[in-house]
Amino acid sequence: MTRVAIVDYGMGNLDSVARAVEECGGVPVVTGRAADIGSANRIILPGVGAFPDGMRNLKERSLDKILHEQVAEKGIPLLGICLGMQLLATRGWEGGETEGLGWIGGEVRRLQPGEGNTRIPHVGWNEVFAIRESPLFRGIPEGKDFYFVHSYHFLCDDDRDVLARTPYCGGFVSAIGRGSVFGVQFHPEKSQRAGFQVLRNFLGV
Amino acid sequence: MIRYCVRCIMPETKPDLHIDGEGVCSACRSFERRKEVDWDNRRGALKEILDRYRSRNGSNYDCIVPVSGGKDSTYQTVRMLELGMNPLCVTATTDKLSDIGRRNIENLKRRGVDYIEMTANPVVRRRINRLALTQVGDISWPEHVTIFTIPVRIAVQMNIPLIVWGENSQNEYGGPAADAENSVLTRRWLEEFGGLLGLRVSDLIGQEGIEPRHLIQYTYPTDEELRRVGVTGIFLGYYLPWDGFGNALFSQAHGFETYHKPVEGSLVNYENLDNIQTGIHDYFKFLKYGFGRATDLACLHVRRGRISREDAVKLVRMHDGKFPWVYLGCPIEEVLREMEMTLDGFVRVCDRFTNKKQFVCDSRGNLVKDRDGNLTKINYDNEKFLRA
Amino acid sequence: MLKIRVIATLLYKGWGLVKGVGFDSWRRTGSAMQAVKVYNMREMDELVFLDITATNERRRPDFALVDELADECFMPLTVGGGVTTVDDVRDLLRVGADKVAVNTTAVTDPGLVRRIADRFGSQCIVVSIDARRRSDGTYEACTNSGTVATGRDPAELAYEVEALGAGEILVTSVERDGTMSGYDVELTRRVSEAVSIPVIASGGAGSYGDMVHVISEGKASAVASASIYHFTQQTPLEAKRYLRDRGFAVRL
Repeated sequence: MTRVAIVDYGMGNLDSVARAVEECGGVPVVTGRAADIGSANRIILPGVGAFPDGMRNLKERSLDKILHEQVAEKGIPLLGICLGMQLLATRGWEGGETEGLGWIGGEVRRLQPGEGNTRIPHVGWNEVFAIRESPLFRGIPEGKDFYFVHSYHFLCDDDRDVLARTPYCGGFVSAIGRGSVFGVQFHPEKSQRAGFQVLRNFLGV
Repeated sequence: MIRYCVRCIMPETKPDLHIDGEGVCSACRSFERRKEVDWDNRRGALKEILDRYRSRNGSNYDCIVPVSGGKDSTYQTVRMLELGMNPLCVTATTDKLSDIGRRNIENLKRRGVDYIEMTANPVVRRRINRLALTQVGDISWPEHVTIFTIPVRIAVQMNIPLIVWGENSQNEYGGPAADAENSVLTRRWLEEFGGLLGLRVSDLIGQEGIEPRHLIQYTYPTDEELRRVGVTGIFLGYYLPWDGFGNALFSQAHGFETYHKPVEGSLVNYENLDNIQTGIHDYFKFLKYGFGRATDLACLHVRRGRISREDAVKLVRMHDGKFPWVYLGCPIEEVLREMEMTLDGFVRVCDRFTNKKQFVCDSRGNLVKDRDGNLTKINYDNEKFLRA
Repeated sequence: MLKIRVIATLLYKGWGLVKGVGFDSWRRTGSAMQAVKVYNMREMDELVFLDITATNERRRPDFALVDELADECFMPLTVGGGVTTVDDVRDLLRVGADKVAVNTTAVTDPGLVRRIADRFGSQCIVVSIDARRRSDGTYEACTNSGTVATGRDPAELAYEVEALGAGEILVTSVERDGTMSGYDVELTRRVSEAVSIPVIASGGAGSYGDMVHVISEGKASAVASASIYHFTQQTPLEAKRYLRDRGFAVRL
């Protein structure tokens, strides 16, 4: 049984993620307690909201410490979703400069509207194209639609960390991964079967 | 509080039912209107239709009668024979046929008719049952589909345009007025009232390994095919005054066998004897809409003056909506095992589909269940009746 | 590219789902849970769940029910009906709604739109505008489930709420709703041209052709319907294929 700790730091649709994990065969534990996170096989860092609020909330609850231990030191697989993915960066530029968790080198900046009718925030279903082989997208056809809702995006320092891109605002990075740390800009728990496949792949990593 | 019809005891929670300003439900009103019907006229109209469709030289059947072997289809078959028709009886095999159900089918054949039984792939059927149970809370969904598609497919394939159905459930149970008057079962009727619950056969493809080739018998013929053969489905219940109990008496006199006691969750021993899964089907009706088979039957009898409303309320309280541990003597575990579902899994699905507003819940919002897992409704009758 | 969304609307009244014609003659169509599960199975792009009597009954949204339904909804869920305060929004989001729809209050207390956008972000607030066509061809927005005429032009109202922070507009034709005789393309077009946020067309869909019509001429970014899937053999998947075959970007 794969115990999945879903980090509760006061931001995000925890229930939806928990339900989706359950449907995918995992045992979700929605928690803000270090002990629970410490005993999990997998960690999901969800998140809806602003970068600075996210980091502040993590620090206030000392969650950044336990996450460092489990993820950076022990190598427990972690999946960041939406804001959760963005927090993995070195720094974010939403509402000023804020230091991130720094496990995947890069910065988080505002999406810039491209040509045509591109509006911010980016809300709705859009295609995800895997750039390189990754367990996360196993069994998912090229260009499958996932559900996005965000105004900021992740710019990777190292191109090898880019797992997938989405053709919007110049082709922003929609999934990242380094070792056993992964991040997806879309919401797998809201992307039905395709989203479930991503979650299942993560559980099986 | 749940409002009930002041004449019968149907609750307002039933889909497509309407309770008017005087507190009377549309099914009771529909039944009222029966007095105004010129049944001689209707019978005459039926004879005309039958004459029109009767085969000129006996080289093909005069009509199709969709049958299950139950009290209604046995009645329909005998009536058609009496009216000088040569029917082809067609059965869409029920999923878990009981012994008594099989005996009744044999009895129907012995009335003297040609008979076809089409069984949809039972292995696939079980998968669809489980899907239907977990996705729309209706284990009998596939059954309801094939009851309509199989006879119509055969009508097209064998070039028999006239299909004689039994009752128009809209009329009997009170549906949107416009359609209660309908004498004809069209594709649109099926989509709207055939119990499809918003799910369509095409939605099954890709689930649990189900492919289009598994769904041939679930596929309604195309409009073009229907037009080519001129398929028309009429409701016998429109032309002859319909009464389930009357049909049972009639059928019994023609060899139909009843159960030795009232069927579990029901009040009577003469219907729903063929499919062992019906117990689960009726239970889910109760969970979603607050009424089960006992309520249906009590209302039918109250309307025809056989039992008083007061007695009906008591009988329903005693029998309606009990957890279907056993049906026709068969334990639920057996039915669930065939669908690869555990009892716990089943109860979870039950809870999912239960409309909690209708039932007593504890302070944390959880359903209150008795020792046998039965729920209690928040009220079983209108306030003023309770006070008296 | 960003896809055109095919959305299902669920109207809730009393005990379960209902369908009406012209916002009247409500007919019970069944269990809300069942509908959510079926649409989830059918991979609908989004669900809009509206409690149509909450405002007139002066009642808050039914959070327990939304909680249950959200548990089975693995696609974006918009919930509306009876939303009058920021707390209503906070509580709905907490039980699982992804977006909240505001109708009557957007007219009676437009500041609420600003407050919600500031606190939770524009992407989670949909302003729902119900409108009737006048005999002279102009339109009028109504509130309270279509029972109170406001005298306001829906396009102007849409413009106003966009400025206050609304993320999307759901525009419904009152008289066409439930008739399956086609969307009010003109109404949709006027509202779409007045704003730069997505507009969801609603009310009257009877065929896939109606959807094409309201997207191309009505400039809708999404099409919402209910009767069509419940009462006929048409399905969301077929609708999307039809749209794709005519050159629209949809999710398949």
